[in-house]
Amino acid sequence: MIIKKFFIFFSFIVLSTSAFNQVVYEFEDSLQEKRFYSLISEIRCPKCTSGSIASSDAPVSRDLKNKVYELVLDGSTDQEIKTYVSERFGDFSDYRPSLEGSNYLLWFGPFIFLALMLVIFFIKRRV
Amino acid sequence: MNQLLRFLIVILPVVVLIFFAKILLIDEDIKFSTFDSKNFPEFQLNDLNGDPVQSESLNGIKILNVWASWCITCLVEHPFLTRLSEQNIQIIGLNYKDSDLKANAWLEKHGNPYLFSIYDPRGDLAFDLGVTGAPESYLIINNQVVSHIQGEMNQRKWNSIFLPLIQQAKQGS
Amino acid sequence: MIGEISHFLSLSAVLILSLVLIFNLFFFFSKVHPNQLTLSMRLFNQACWLVFISFGMYVYLAISDDFSIAYIASHSNSQLPIFYKITSIWSAHEGSMFLWIVFLTAWSILFINSLDNEHPLKKFTLLMLSLIILGFLLFLLLTSNPFERILPFGALEGADINPVLQDPALAIHPPMLYLGYVGFVISFSFITAYLLNGNFELQWEQDIKNWSLVAWIFLTIGIALGSWWAYYELGWGGYWFWDPVENVALMPWLAATAFMHSLFASSKSNVLKTWTMFLGILIFALSLFGAFIVRSGIIDSVHSFANDPERGLYLLSFSGLITLFSLTIFAYRLPVLNSSKLVVTGSKESFLSMNNILMITSIFSIFLGVTYPLIIESINGEKVSIGPPYYNTIFAPLILIAAIFIMISVDALWQRSMPLRTLFFTIAPPIILSLVSIYFIWWTTSVFSILAYVGIFSGLLILFSYLLRTINNLFNKRFINKGSAIAHTGLGLLFFAVSMNSILSYEKNLNLAPGQSISVDQSVKEFSFNDIRVFKASNHDVISAEVSLLQDGQEISLNPQKRKYATRGQITSESSIHTTFFKDTYLTIGDQLDNGSWTFSLKINYFIKWIWFSAALMVLGMLLTIFKKKAS
Repeated sequence: MIIKKFFIFFSFIVLSTSAFNQVVYEFEDSLQEKRFYSLISEIRCPKCTSGSIASSDAPVSRDLKNKVYELVLDGSTDQEIKTYVSERFGDFSDYRPSLEGSNYLLWFGPFIFLALMLVIFFIKRRV
Repeated sequence: MNQLLRFLIVILPVVVLIFFAKILLIDEDIKFSTFDSKNFPEFQLNDLNGDPVQSESLNGIKILNVWASWCITCLVEHPFLTRLSEQNIQIIGLNYKDSDLKANAWLEKHGNPYLFSIYDPRGDLAFDLGVTGAPESYLIINNQVVSHIQGEMNQRKWNSIFLPLIQQAKQGS
Repeated sequence: MIGEISHFLSLSAVLILSLVLIFNLFFFFSKVHPNQLTLSMRLFNQACWLVFISFGMYVYLAISDDFSIAYIASHSNSQLPIFYKITSIWSAHEGSMFLWIVFLTAWSILFINSLDNEHPLKKFTLLMLSLIILGFLLFLLLTSNPFERILPFGALEGADINPVLQDPALAIHPPMLYLGYVGFVISFSFITAYLLNGNFELQWEQDIKNWSLVAWIFLTIGIALGSWWAYYELGWGGYWFWDPVENVALMPWLAATAFMHSLFASSKSNVLKTWTMFLGILIFALSLFGAFIVRSGIIDSVHSFANDPERGLYLLSFSGLITLFSLTIFAYRLPVLNSSKLVVTGSKESFLSMNNILMITSIFSIFLGVTYPLIIESINGEKVSIGPPYYNTIFAPLILIAAIFIMISVDALWQRSMPLRTLFFTIAPPIILSLVSIYFIWWTTSVFSILAYVGIFSGLLILFSYLLRTINNLFNKRFINKGSAIAHTGLGLLFFAVSMNSILSYEKNLNLAPGQSISVDQSVKEFSFNDIRVFKASNHDVISAEVSLLQDGQEISLNPQKRKYATRGQITSESSIHTTFFKDTYLTIGDQLDNGSWTFSLKINYFIKWIWFSAALMVLGMLLTIFKKKAS
């Protein structure tokens, strides 16, 4: 009887204190935290038509968020994390196109275009 | 200069038009598939019977099909998978985020087209493979992930995406 | 029965418009006979009215729950309030296309009838408008027929509107946007008519100026509403994602903004005429391009309507043909159009030219971002994603250049270079003030992001520039163009608010059981999950969480919900937002875990109100410009 009461009392104590972590993504410092939230806004949800994993509730997005969280805590760099995700879900999952190959045209295109237009303008110098 | 500009003003929209027309006519199914070439991830999992899965079992030409008892669309593709298995296509199941009890019951009830199913309750292998949900199918040739189809497998997708790659591989060897 | 009549009316409109075109084609190479024009106008007006009545009947069908019409059955429901029965009409492809056509017709009938019968461009404009309306009507009736019936019995009940669309902002967003998009058919048609006509002594700018300015207002409001709705409704606390569909709305807006500025130069100082003409054509062409992208299923977006290559091909061909037609005539006439005036460096004209170049570059950047994945995929099958990281990086320097131009050019002179002294005193104070402010911001927030700081600096340049100008105006009676000042201030505010939002906002993901509370950070000292209730509402079940916060010394109550809609079984999340001057406290409830606790996403978003306010300022500035002209 006494043991039963003790057991109930003990369980009550254990269950009423937070048995789970109240802050879901807890970090060592605010820089890590900012990196995490910034990363998840740049990783594409593999299942949604468009949108980042930050804005998605899909199960695979949740898995990805948790994985990114783990990796940030582990000390991986942003690039390492993105590479990790890309190896599994394809290059498609990075909303920031890499700076290589044909992507140079993408990143520098607008500025080349601007320069071209300015050149044409200065040559013509009329309206 | 002026001549060039006038020419461009007309030609550029034409180029854009032709480009988009071409894209519109692309096979719809290609959109939901990828063509990869990566090694099958390492894993240490059991099958639905509790026995460890050997990585050798992925040699040769295999289809890996991601399924679960909670997945409704998997029922839709099931008859097609059964037909494939009857044609001696080797299909391995990846039971994704499921309970083994429910999974085995599902196979009992609907039939088992798989050589065996890898039991991945936490989705660890699925994550490493880039699985986005169920159903999904992968074409594995000699332990290399060659192609990946999101959504249910059907004759049309099989014909346009997996079959050509399988035939290519068979010709090679 | 009414459905049949409505359908018949639309078909009749097609017939009549065809008549107008054939009739005029027959007389194309002869001089305009006054009766010919009168007859054409009469036919055209009749056709337009048929379209309006047809749509009016369709609205009646929707309100009266006629579920034998397939479209109404799939998008409406008898339990909906009348307001949403009406708005459900434009919640998907066929109905929204119908609305698009109604607006196209409305703009057209108003404009064409405002032109004097003697106006030399009236005939060609009429033909252009007829052709465009006809093309879209055929598209509607042949590929996207809203009148299709469910035979033989019709549905017993409608499938209901997507709950996410059951929202007042989202109800008005498409109409505003479409009014903007199609409003530019006027500049498109009129300019094409001008080019066809061939008399380049004619003045054309005044005739379309106010029409275009009004269309710009609708377009601005439409985009702002979409962004506002996304923020309030979608639950992720963001307002702009550079999603392809957002981008195809932004491109016409940029072209329209450039067009307005260029039009100003064109009518004031007789320069930039060819630029203005090109832009006037480009805006509508980009609107058509946008309609094509959204309705062809070619690009993945949450927003995409239809997924049908046949529709896509029709839209592409039709849009392509009329755009090519206008551009070809433009290119053909170009040699004659080119004025031989030289632009003086540092004059107002030069800045307006630069502005056009900058805007075209912005449009090009977005176009590149939208089409690049498609190009790469068609070449080597690789899939690339382009999102905020790309666009933010590209746009940061562009908006800095824009800010510098705005700062300098407001005081620039026509046809004369700005004296260096004036230039110095115009730009030095805002630059100094902005740099000091930047330093202050960095000192207080300790956050550094180069892109954001470029944005903040750009915004501050514009804001300080106009602040000083206003002070100058008050004390020295120095002239200030109020409409333009307010609109530009709005733009500066937008740059500032968006950038500040990006460096200051943060998120916390929490996991609490009912009755628990937690201290989140210095600002949110207490977050208490008080209660969770389940109850039924009109057409949905609700799970409602009661949360109270102690934030910055204030007690705040928040009430995030999850709703399950009866008809479609869809689950949506309703965020609870508390707005103050500087920040929004934005709470969304997630899922219940096995241990009974619930996950919450708490976002603190800074300067959100300022973003909406900046859009309002831009519209206000434009309104002042329109009405000032009318007064004088």
